[in-house]
Amino acid sequence: MRCNYGFSLPRSDPLRFSFLPSIRPDPLLIPSSVSFRVGPGRTIKLVKSTLNDTLSFTSEKPSSFYDLLGIPETGSLIEIKQAYRQMARKYHPDVSPPGRTEEYAQQFIRVQEAYETLSDPGKRALYDLDMAKGLHLAFSARRRSEFDQQMEQKCEWKGRWESQLSELNRRSMYKDSTENMSWGARMRRQRNESS
Amino acid sequence: MAAPGLAIRVNYPTLQYLTAQKFNYGGRKLFFVKASAGSTEAEEANIIVRKEKYGWQPDFSGGMRPTPILDTINYPVHMKNLSVKELEKLAAELRAEIVHTVSKTGGHLSSSLGVVELTVALHQVFSAPEDKIIWDVGHQAYGHKILTGRRSKMHTIRKTSGLAGFPKREESVYDAFGAGHSSTSISAGLGMAVARDLLGKDNSVVSVIGDGAMTAGQAYEALNNAGFLDTNLIVVLNDNRQVSLPTATLDGPATPVGALSRALSKLQASPKFRQLREAAKQGITKQIGPQAHEVAAKFDEYARGMISSSGSTFFEELGLYYIGPVDGHNIDDLVTIFQKVKTMPAPGPVLIHIITEKGKGYPPAEAAADRMHGVVKFDPKTGKQMKAKTPTLMYTQYFAESLIKEAEADNRIVAIHAAMGGGTGLNYFQKRFPERCFDVGIAEQHAVTFAAGLATEGLKPFCAIYSSFLQRGYDQVVHDVDLQKLPVRFAMDRAGLVGADGPTHCGAFDVAYMACLPNMIVMAPSDEAELMHMVATAAAIDDRPSCFRFPRGNGVGAVLPPDYKGTPLEIGKGRILREGNRVAILGFGSVVQQCLGAAEMLKSHNILPTIADARFCKPLDADLIRRLAKEHEILITVEEGSIGGFGSHISHFLTLHGILDGPLKLRSMVLPDRYIDQGAPQDQIEEAGLSSRHICATVLSLLGTPKEVVNFV
Repeated sequence: MRCNYGFSLPRSDPLRFSFLPSIRPDPLLIPSSVSFRVGPGRTIKLVKSTLNDTLSFTSEKPSSFYDLLGIPETGSLIEIKQAYRQMARKYHPDVSPPGRTEEYAQQFIRVQEAYETLSDPGKRALYDLDMAKGLHLAFSARRRSEFDQQMEQKCEWKGRWESQLSELNRRSMYKDSTENMSWGARMRRQRNESS
Repeated sequence: MAAPGLAIRVNYPTLQYLTAQKFNYGGRKLFFVKASAGSTEAEEANIIVRKEKYGWQPDFSGGMRPTPILDTINYPVHMKNLSVKELEKLAAELRAEIVHTVSKTGGHLSSSLGVVELTVALHQVFSAPEDKIIWDVGHQAYGHKILTGRRSKMHTIRKTSGLAGFPKREESVYDAFGAGHSSTSISAGLGMAVARDLLGKDNSVVSVIGDGAMTAGQAYEALNNAGFLDTNLIVVLNDNRQVSLPTATLDGPATPVGALSRALSKLQASPKFRQLREAAKQGITKQIGPQAHEVAAKFDEYARGMISSSGSTFFEELGLYYIGPVDGHNIDDLVTIFQKVKTMPAPGPVLIHIITEKGKGYPPAEAAADRMHGVVKFDPKTGKQMKAKTPTLMYTQYFAESLIKEAEADNRIVAIHAAMGGGTGLNYFQKRFPERCFDVGIAEQHAVTFAAGLATEGLKPFCAIYSSFLQRGYDQVVHDVDLQKLPVRFAMDRAGLVGADGPTHCGAFDVAYMACLPNMIVMAPSDEAELMHMVATAAAIDDRPSCFRFPRGNGVGAVLPPDYKGTPLEIGKGRILREGNRVAILGFGSVVQQCLGAAEMLKSHNILPTIADARFCKPLDADLIRRLAKEHEILITVEEGSIGGFGSHISHFLTLHGILDGPLKLRSMVLPDRYIDQGAPQDQIEEAGLSSRHICATVLSLLGTPKEVVNFV
């Protein structure tokens, strides 16, 4: 399903555009930890979960869902699922090291969001388009991306009219039974009899 | 995915333009059936060709893109085998075509852009012209015209002898019903559906109507009847939340007027009820068993009312089956729905509520406050319109200014319009007096009686409604205003010929239908200063209804009264502009300017006509007319209106007073007894025979010098 939403530039999150990645690094060359300059004096480190158990980050802005899950952009659904499962197991609040529950919980939420977007092919396609335009959507539970909301609404609409259509179909089957005395029903009956 | 470095036009599927073929320069090989004479067309033709030779760019700068799929479509039947992906590409190409066409000709832009997907889906599923597709108002039908064999003539749209700006039955068999005024499509569609049933045919009938047009009563009259008759009819409600025109006030986008818009928007945002309904239904049917189906149907009916949003039952109560809301820019969805409804045996009347965005796909239009509804030529890359600088403002603006001045002096003055804040100039009034300006939606009948109600309480209502739109509220003018002698003032803009909009918007009849009313005072200004005085006069007339008519166009450069404040004229008194002899030319309204032009031309023939401006058609200036009749051999009356107006009143007066028994020669120049097609204003005046040289020719023919007449004709 293709939901064509208005591609206006989302309201800017000032921090979001202050760091670099409009050039996506080649996934194969990503070292086990990558750090980005975010602004004066702040760096973030993004670490592939498979290689390193310790985690430290001072800011909350990894560059994309793909990087968060540690998969290449062309990753298949299976890869996404695997990566998600790994990260979820790692960052689930129940198994987090003591004292860092909150960080882990936030990371877990982000991982969840990433999985949600990337596992749905439609959402993933839109996300990819956004990335191509250089908009890297930071994800925080607070700022539900606008397109996500619109997508949800459109999907809801689709569900609704599909059920309306099936209802109409059902009704139209017995609409012209002889009890229906409306002009249109009478004409339809006449026409059906003569044809 | 997108390649880096390519300028991506976000609303277009990006892939196909990476693989654009260069060989196909579009169906423009046979350029330019030159419909209008004049060198500008030729120049434009050359520019287009040159640009195309220099290559393509994938966005609106640098000229037209290639349109491979659109080039294969001459008629809707060529669309039948396209897949959904190809339809989407076609929609993108169609959008580009519309933008480029309108950028060169001017016209209505964003309405057509908003319904591109709808147009494509309709023509894909339905088989015009057997299946009837009726566009309400019709200014959104540019895409429809392109797809139905008129692409090559689109550069002539709204021009003299070119395509009409609205659907027109005489133009093409694919235009099922002529449009221009709004809210007629459901009525017409119902008529076609009933005729189909009586004749035993089985085509489909689809009426497309917008949410603005839904504010008019006729739409409900039609829905009511459709629900009752229960005939198969599809109504597509195109909801883009733009009710008034030009969909913006001076400060930004206008919020839709009326409670109906609120109801429609609630429909879009209702809570998730479907699962609840389905679950409940399943639960019930399990328990009830064999009679499940009727019970489920009943339950469904109640459930829809109880749990679903409050709007859909509105249409359901009228008897139409409601489907929606549907994303109006998703071709797949639209095609699915239309296909399903088309193949159902007996759907009855169905209303499909689609949500679109006006101006979709063209960023300057989406960003503009008025969405670029009606535009003159513009630059496709930026959307900037090339508005010519004129030394004088439009009559509409002078009207608005003087009304504001009057309202500042008198706080009982209020203004009413019918969804035309921009066109009538009342957006300025709205800005200045937000509490005293009323936009009633597309409801002229209501506007008139509403004004009458205001007048009964001592307020001074000014009803600013276009001359041709006031036709809709005529009974209210007669019965509610004139019969009761209520002092409602009618400001009839767009009187006379209106240029590119054509006969649907032409205000030819207002003098006739207003001046025959017993209590009405009918005035017409000959220039913008007179207009201001007439606004003041109308404000002063407090014991009976009054009206004044003024044309589309710019002022002539008259000296304006100080501070834009007019002074009331003496009622029933005209004025003489030029003194002369033998010939008197009595004009009514802005056509007096043509009379002055004729006087100039006649000077070279040593003829000095007297030029008079009647100002009032009702009551007539008896002294002036008597004097003109006595002192001249020839009296010519000129008006830009149909027969039965000013000229008729003059001749009636003269016969009543026995003046026509004498030696006077009387001629009335009126609009001819036929509809004048759209075109440039000067062309239309020529076609109508009311230009300066026609007046000249009339004078000369009466003076008995036929040889000289030939020079002017």
